[in-house]
Amino acid sequence: MQLNARAPGQAPDPARGKEAPGTAALGTTILAAAFALPGLHTAAHAESAPEQGVISLKYVDYQDRQPGLERTSVRSPSLSVLAPIAGVWAIEGSLVYDDVSGASPRYHTAVSGASRMEDERTAADLKVTRYFPRGSASIGAAYSDENDYRSKAVSLQGSVSSEDKNTTATFGAGVTNDTIDPVNLIVVGERKRTVEWMAGVTQVLSPRDIVQLNFTHAAGRGYFSDPYKYVDNRPRERNQRNVLLRWNHHVDGSGGTSRLAYRHYRDSFGIRAHTFSAEYVQPLSGGWIVTPSARVYSQSAAYFYFDPVYHGIFGPPFPPGYTFADPRPLSADQRLSAFGAHTFGVKVEKRLAADWSVDIKFERYEQRSSWRLFGSGSPGLQPLTARIVQIGVSKRW
Amino acid sequence: MVEAVGGTIDSAAPVFGVAFAAMASRCEIRLAATTEEEARGLARFAIDEVRRIEAKYSRYLPDSVVSRINAAAGGEGVECDAETVGLFGYADALYQASGGLFDITSGVLRRAWNFRDPRVPGREELAPILALIGWPEVERNGLHVRLPRAGMEIDFGGFGKEYAADRAAAMLVERGARHGYVNLGGDLRVFGPQPDGSPWVIGIQDPRASDRLVASIPVQSGALTTSGDYERYFDADGKRYCHILDPHTGMPVEHWRSVSVLAPLAIAAGSCATIAMLKAEQALPFLEGANVAYLAVDCRGEVFSKAL
Amino acid sequence: MRSAPSLLAAIAALPFAAGCSAIQPVQPWEKGMLARPEMSFEGDRLEMKFAEHVYFSREAASGGASVGGGGCGCN
Repeated sequence: MQLNARAPGQAPDPARGKEAPGTAALGTTILAAAFALPGLHTAAHAESAPEQGVISLKYVDYQDRQPGLERTSVRSPSLSVLAPIAGVWAIEGSLVYDDVSGASPRYHTAVSGASRMEDERTAADLKVTRYFPRGSASIGAAYSDENDYRSKAVSLQGSVSSEDKNTTATFGAGVTNDTIDPVNLIVVGERKRTVEWMAGVTQVLSPRDIVQLNFTHAAGRGYFSDPYKYVDNRPRERNQRNVLLRWNHHVDGSGGTSRLAYRHYRDSFGIRAHTFSAEYVQPLSGGWIVTPSARVYSQSAAYFYFDPVYHGIFGPPFPPGYTFADPRPLSADQRLSAFGAHTFGVKVEKRLAADWSVDIKFERYEQRSSWRLFGSGSPGLQPLTARIVQIGVSKRW
Repeated sequence: MVEAVGGTIDSAAPVFGVAFAAMASRCEIRLAATTEEEARGLARFAIDEVRRIEAKYSRYLPDSVVSRINAAAGGEGVECDAETVGLFGYADALYQASGGLFDITSGVLRRAWNFRDPRVPGREELAPILALIGWPEVERNGLHVRLPRAGMEIDFGGFGKEYAADRAAAMLVERGARHGYVNLGGDLRVFGPQPDGSPWVIGIQDPRASDRLVASIPVQSGALTTSGDYERYFDADGKRYCHILDPHTGMPVEHWRSVSVLAPLAIAAGSCATIAMLKAEQALPFLEGANVAYLAVDCRGEVFSKAL
Repeated sequence: MRSAPSLLAAIAALPFAAGCSAIQPVQPWEKGMLARPEMSFEGDRLEMKFAEHVYFSREAASGGASVGGGGCGCN
């Protein structure tokens, strides 16, 4: 004799409960009462304290270049720890050390006169979260220090979930204070302060789908120019806005999960940017997981960016019509030009016995003016390519 | 955020069984893992959780929560924690859903029934004990619980093992286990199908022949529990007296030999099975309304079942 | 630019267009798949941190997923 192959996955029929008095309605309340017991939810998709701690180490090797010039090289070891405490708290922290060296064009992608630099950056952050039955609250702080730039930030975040935990609203606010003391003493003791806030909603759409929509706004005041670039004078105010939409979808057939995202960015520098990213997490036999990924990015130019067309008399790097007392904002920084960029990567992870796992990721990034979407890219700039290799190891406890 | 170890393992992934003893039963955790060491490591968390619940709620341990509440009967009462208060709330829901038949204060009937001694207690012996049964009299205020009369007792034996099975499964799923089940003395909670996606096939014992099955049930996920008159009983004068006692009469139920229920949680399946045994002739309408699958064998051996 | 409000409205409509299963709330016992780490919006923290740093230093856009992460001198 065979009964069904699957335990009832249907919700108790509320209509049935209402119209049938006595035993019918009472039976379904047993199931509902059982699910109301704390600690019997097998799936936490709203906020709940982690059951396990994690400690991870990672090492990244980054190298970018443009035709004719090896540019920036970064070697970066990092450490992160996540520790649950007493079932309702979690502490997360990380430590990053960046060893940066290389050459940067002083204007556009000019190879001659490129500035050589070497710098070491240390950064640390900490976040403490308290979990409640239907929400969470956290406070965080971050610190970053390099020879010419120091950044300190604090933030508060909170979340509230609906009773069925299918909808979660998140909100946050943060303040970042930066102090800038460039080694070439072009400016001394400059500062920048950024105030950010964020609001978002995460919604479970089906047993295989979850989406998130986030709005972020940042208001920055202070010094935004790049002191190592020629003819770089940026506004002392920058307001940025992001809308981010993400969708994770589990595919039963392959056991894999697609993770798609779109971000729309605009700011008061006149820049509009679109970011499309996709990755597919595919578990394989033996504890292997392969994740190919792709990202397509496109931005417009800042309104004060000027193309590599130079003053008839002064020559590069000065734009036509330039005067030395020019109060207008100006920049020849490639990062403020109009371009598109593609990233392709693959990550391979292996879960080992006793809660260890190792991973390695290769990525290739390329930026080209001609790849700009919805418009034309800035002329006269060399493409930039980067290759990134990361290796990591992680242990749960 | 919950991070878990282990992804989907292919159909050749080995399945390990970790056996242990707990709650006076033979127990087993079966799960798929890459190595035996990983399986034992994962099972360790689940076994520790079962032992924790047993220690916390066993009426045989003098410093368990249940023993402290019972010792304070007629006195000041006891402050409990959220887990215990949650279980009391669940017991109340069962009392309501069963029309007063599932009553966690009915454990006092142990004083009259000893299933190793085949003696049927008389009415005079049962009457003072029945007077100590009454869930609605238990006083609950936030975290404070009080049994109003000395001699009253509560015990979670009616769903403790099933609750432990669900908690053990939750421990395993949170750590990334995706294929397997927890079996505590015949109460099973499946948390994922076999590695190749096929269901586990669970046998339901024939209530009158322990070496035979009355049915084999394929289960992808969810719980299968059985309440029967063959677990603790004695036969006298050709009649079976089992350990499931009606709290109003103090006498064992007779209508069903066993009831097996399939539901998403073991605690819900076990409660429905026990209530069905208590409801006797009213069991089938109750099970129909509970939106669970069931297989019930009545006192003549006739089988009633419903799949979903 | 072409109006931000209509773009935002189109984005906001996407989750609801994605499935009429949005109408049927997902029950706790159906959430097994959602507990998998790859289904959450967190990820490998160190990997995400480094990616944000790379894109912050090579592109103009930044942010979107969190606040208060602190800055660096690379832009």
